[in-house]
Amino acid sequence: MNKNETHCLLCTQPLQLITSWKALLTKQFPPSICEKCLARFERNTSHESTSLYRYNEAMKDFLHQYKFLQDVALAKVFRQELHTHLKHEKATIIPIPMHPEKQKERTFSHMDELLKSAKIPYIQLLEKTTTETQSSKNREERLQTPPLFRLLPDIRVEYKEYLLFDDIQTTGTTLQHATQLLLGAGAENVRIFTLISG
Amino acid sequence: MKYKGWLLPPALRDFHEGRIWLKNHTPFHEDDIKRAIERNYFYIKEGIQTIPQIKCNRCQNEEPQQFTHFECSKCQKTCVYCRHCLNMGRISCCTTLLIWRGPQTYKQKQHQFEWAGQFTPLQQQASDEMLESVKRQRNHLVHAVCGAGKTEILFQSVHYALEKGLRVCIATPRTDVVLELFPRFQAVFPKTNIHALYGGAPKQEGYARLVMATTHQLYRFQHAFDLIIVDEADAFPYTFDQTLQTAVQKAKKPESPIIFVTATPSQKLLQQHKRSGYSFIPKRYHNHPLPVPRYSSLWRYENSLNKGKIPLKLQRWIEDRLTRQEPFLIFLPKVALMDIVTPLFQIIHPDILAVHAEDTDRKEKVLKLRNEEIPGLLTTTILERGITIKNVQVAVVGAESSIFTASALIQIAGRVGRNQAYADGDVVFFHHGITVEMDEARATIERSNKEGFPR
Repeated sequence: MNKNETHCLLCTQPLQLITSWKALLTKQFPPSICEKCLARFERNTSHESTSLYRYNEAMKDFLHQYKFLQDVALAKVFRQELHTHLKHEKATIIPIPMHPEKQKERTFSHMDELLKSAKIPYIQLLEKTTTETQSSKNREERLQTPPLFRLLPDIRVEYKEYLLFDDIQTTGTTLQHATQLLLGAGAENVRIFTLISG
Repeated sequence: MKYKGWLLPPALRDFHEGRIWLKNHTPFHEDDIKRAIERNYFYIKEGIQTIPQIKCNRCQNEEPQQFTHFECSKCQKTCVYCRHCLNMGRISCCTTLLIWRGPQTYKQKQHQFEWAGQFTPLQQQASDEMLESVKRQRNHLVHAVCGAGKTEILFQSVHYALEKGLRVCIATPRTDVVLELFPRFQAVFPKTNIHALYGGAPKQEGYARLVMATTHQLYRFQHAFDLIIVDEADAFPYTFDQTLQTAVQKAKKPESPIIFVTATPSQKLLQQHKRSGYSFIPKRYHNHPLPVPRYSSLWRYENSLNKGKIPLKLQRWIEDRLTRQEPFLIFLPKVALMDIVTPLFQIIHPDILAVHAEDTDRKEKVLKLRNEEIPGLLTTTILERGITIKNVQVAVVGAESSIFTASALIQIAGRVGRNQAYADGDVVFFHHGITVEMDEARATIERSNKEGFPR
């Protein structure tokens, strides 16, 4: 996973590698996708936002290839942006976990991989209790879901700030369940952050 | 007493015979697959082999850059997967491929053949020569100019092979061609189960004796076919992607012949076949010579187009087509250029449309031109082959660009004059300098005409 890309991970066109002083001195990640593909993603520019991108056609294709076709290599696509956004984060980062069975099926945890390739440290305190997905339910059903998470055995939730990280937020049920659980277990504060806003 | 035996579901055999298929993607019940494996009906192959070097056992990709290593939650160690054929379901080192070696499907040898067309003497000759090669199990190249009636030439050999109980595949690099050929073959062989395989194709039942597929789909076959015909063998990406050529070799049985059919064979292909099975048809079915492209200089056309001006010569050409009510195609070298010039052309006539590879309305736009709903179409090389429009006139703008190779230009010129009633037409190469490729295209067309119509 640590070789440099010679071709765009999304459109397979050869990458034009431009070495700039900035890239050399600031230790940026080498590009993994081409300018054209990058431009198709829509940045979330509003100020106090808790997500990096807006959901659009390009993002739909990305999620399909990354999660459904299991293209782990795509974890690199947003590493620069994630790294820039999270490198000074003081809160402890917790990626939303997958159900172990689901993870075995997909062969990787897509949230963990995003953070790993962005070189952002994280810990895990939670465990998914159900293999059901939120996207298969309607709003009513989502609001009435039994607890989605429980705490991992033998861990301690400390009195400090945590940042929950998920891929996409639509109604926020998933993140809300996790937040409540952590606050109830003694966390000082819980903030949320997603790659995409739904 | 409960019956505890197991009977092989015919559908399972019909589907898996000849295929190399990801075990976790099989459409059949887990239990049936397990039973079939117990009976030794499947040969099982690892998805990715690492010795002596890394290789995907489905698409035969060996390019290290195309493999990604990762920590796998399923096999609990560092695993690797192939990104080259990812779209067909991911192959990693913890997946396995199934290859059928169980009982075979009954060989149906009765195939209704309904074709009452007439061959020209040259078509007849090529068809006979091809049949001879099929009988002798040797490779064959059919080199026939655009509009010679290539598809019809295949019928006789395909019919022969089917009646022998052989399994036949017609492969082509382009989905468009599969979609065009499929109904024609189904009409000629109305009682034969034919499958059309391409990315996004619907599920098709039973065992197909005749398979029409994109060359990509052949990754999923192994030692399946007794005869493979590769149509438009020189089209992108077949010549460009080595794994597609390997796929054709892998999909056929080792001793089976390949027949290549194209209007623009590469030197390599010509050399391989000139001494063995080779048929050449230098003239069109309607017995008229090929339209010869003419050159017209359009110096610094890019500058004027970027400034929002259509060069006068080009404008005149379009206005000419409009007054004569002739449909036209204008080929452009780049999508970026096309985006700039489309509004300019629409000033001349508001109904002129533009089409490129990623255009989802591609088919509809071509249909509009064919139905004379629009006067003309701007296009990239995507429409260089496979389309037939009555009385169409063609201009290439920027014919000197590297994307317009000799074979692309020959194919483009081959769009003109395909109809008996409109056997001639204008092919003009607007250029900023004449290239070797342009000269080669024109010389090749002239040579074919000379051979087809000796003085």
